[in-house]
Amino acid sequence: MLWLALVFPEWPLQARIRTRDGTQPLAVSQGQRVIALDAVALAQGVRVGQRLADALALAPDLVIRSREPAAETAALHDAAGCALHFTPHVSLDDDALLLELSGSLKLFGGLDTLLRTLQRTLAAAGFESVAACAPTPRAARWLALGTPGQRIRNVAALPGALAPLPLEVTGAGSAALLALRDAGLRTLGELMALPRSALALRDAGPLLTLIDQALGRRPDLRVDHSAPPRLDSRIELPVPRQDSDVLLFAASRLFNAACARLAAAQSGIGECALELEHERQPPTVLTLRTGQPTRDPRVLAGLAREHLARIALPAPVAALRLQATDWLLMPGRSRDLFGAQAPSLAETRTAAALLVERLRARLGHDKVHALSGSADPRPECAQRPAEPGAARPGPARPRRPLWLLAEPEALAERDGQPWRHGPLHCLEDSERIEAGWWDGLDAPLAANEALRDYRIAIGPRQELLWIYREHHPPHRWYLHGVFG
Amino acid sequence: MKHRNAALTPVLQQRTDIWAANDLPDTAQPGISSGHPALDARLPGGGWPVGELTEVLSDCQGHGEMSLLLPWMAAASRREGWLVWVSPPARPHLPALAAAGLYTPRLLLIDAERPAERVWALRQALESGACTGLAGWLDKADTAMLRRLQLAARATPLPVLLFRPAHDRQRPSPAGLRLQLSPGPAHALRVDILKRRGRPASTPLYLRTRAFSMPAPLPSAATCRIRRPALTLIA
Repeated sequence: MLWLALVFPEWPLQARIRTRDGTQPLAVSQGQRVIALDAVALAQGVRVGQRLADALALAPDLVIRSREPAAETAALHDAAGCALHFTPHVSLDDDALLLELSGSLKLFGGLDTLLRTLQRTLAAAGFESVAACAPTPRAARWLALGTPGQRIRNVAALPGALAPLPLEVTGAGSAALLALRDAGLRTLGELMALPRSALALRDAGPLLTLIDQALGRRPDLRVDHSAPPRLDSRIELPVPRQDSDVLLFAASRLFNAACARLAAAQSGIGECALELEHERQPPTVLTLRTGQPTRDPRVLAGLAREHLARIALPAPVAALRLQATDWLLMPGRSRDLFGAQAPSLAETRTAAALLVERLRARLGHDKVHALSGSADPRPECAQRPAEPGAARPGPARPRRPLWLLAEPEALAERDGQPWRHGPLHCLEDSERIEAGWWDGLDAPLAANEALRDYRIAIGPRQELLWIYREHHPPHRWYLHGVFG
Repeated sequence: MKHRNAALTPVLQQRTDIWAANDLPDTAQPGISSGHPALDARLPGGGWPVGELTEVLSDCQGHGEMSLLLPWMAAASRREGWLVWVSPPARPHLPALAAAGLYTPRLLLIDAERPAERVWALRQALESGACTGLAGWLDKADTAMLRRLQLAARATPLPVLLFRPAHDRQRPSPAGLRLQLSPGPAHALRVDILKRRGRPASTPLYLRTRAFSMPAPLPSAATCRIRRPALTLIA
């Protein structure tokens, strides 16, 4: 067994604010005391345990959030989702994660590479972590708190590694710790050197159990974390902001966490909702549609960028929330014998659907479309806008113009000849179209009925035009198309 | 090539150390055939160049300027991927495109108003890897925009055809190939190659780009008639 413990320094703060840019002093309070703070606040003299009034006196622009256990749990679930990509055995331990890695080392290229990739994945989702490895979960956790970075691979080395750790890493009740400290005990090593019966007398019985578990002398069973296939993460901004760069940066934290989670579940999403929460107004909701299932954070970030460029936010954004409920199974792609490969048909289709969504996100839904053909003989009805990918071909008709005018243009007539910047000379052949009476059956006069004789005409600049004359009096001429 | 002595040509072709000044360089990346052999012969690479922009400068409408592209587009539409048209000047008429052999469901139309949006859409299409051909109509595009587009085009194996107004001829352009279209005699399209890789072209080319012959000698009027059923009033 190889357990990896991930501990998140200043967790109450990390869990709430994942976009620390190092300019704003931040702190989290509980009961009028500072319990977590960032490096900027630390540099200004704020300390853990300080009263809020003192902290504000030291750092007047300190942003203080009160502790919110629900947000911490949700954030830990997000982090666990990222870790699930590396092993199915992830368990939550208060505010730390414990991963059993013995089955994953080979796949991820050894402990060093795995740890680097894992911490990079977590950092992309906005979590800073320190880690330690040990054969038992409890020892790993204590080492991560006391001497981060340590890696103990066998049980025999555990007592020596745990000995210098301070008693506080055990997380035991403060009354028991106080009693031991009064007895002059500071480290686990000093504690382990004492006879067990003497410790039991000093109310340290529960602590002995913990130490036995850490050393592997007692079983320490952990339950694997499991989460429903649903995304719902929220991220707060230190101060409400409106500039899209800041929002995109925060959103990318959410996308990275979500996509790591999706990768673990071999799934993708076709649609997700990014809610931008304002302080006193209903949230602005951006619906990001990818067309094809995806778990690529860059795709989602690209779509969010286009949406943000288009809309005007009514107010600064205080928090972002990402939700997606419909997960679609999306197995990973195996590489072929030689590694890379040319884009497959499916990949071209994915890229094609994605292009449409990206264009629509910026230009608007109606501005991007395909054309579907129809057997209707009326030229204006032979094609209509269609959903890209769902268009159908229509019949081919020779001697038709490439361009059609949106509305037929009425032409003047001089000496019995149609006229447009000069006389139009009709060519011999004509095409008669009598159709469309069915569109106006309920109206007294068929409004859309077409009774026309089409001709190809040569204009004064030798251009080819498609004109028609109506059957009805007054037999007017119209320009309907251009042979481009 | 024409004026060269017929007996001399095979001799010259055997020798690799002689280079004729009016040869187009063979180093050009093979292009994609335009479907007009006379035009292909004058284009370096033997067709529409890939990996760079092609500009078509034209003010004419109704002289077969779009038909110039149709053989290539018809061939491109047989492969999976979008055939992207960004802001065409009018509504395309599907039966005519189908008659030219284009598989129309692969046509993707993008309406973008501002030049920056059109260029953006073209770049997105280029970078998506999901297109088989691109045509864009740019009324007002500055050189910086075109240069960005040229950079995006460099990585892709696609021809990119840009229609621009004829008066942009005087403006510098990063495009590797620039053609000017104007009406020619007898319903032909006059094609002037303003710029190409290698030796400049001097004489214009006259092409009949339309699929049908002019004037059309149809024996009788074609009629598409769907008659209204006769209504009988029963009193």
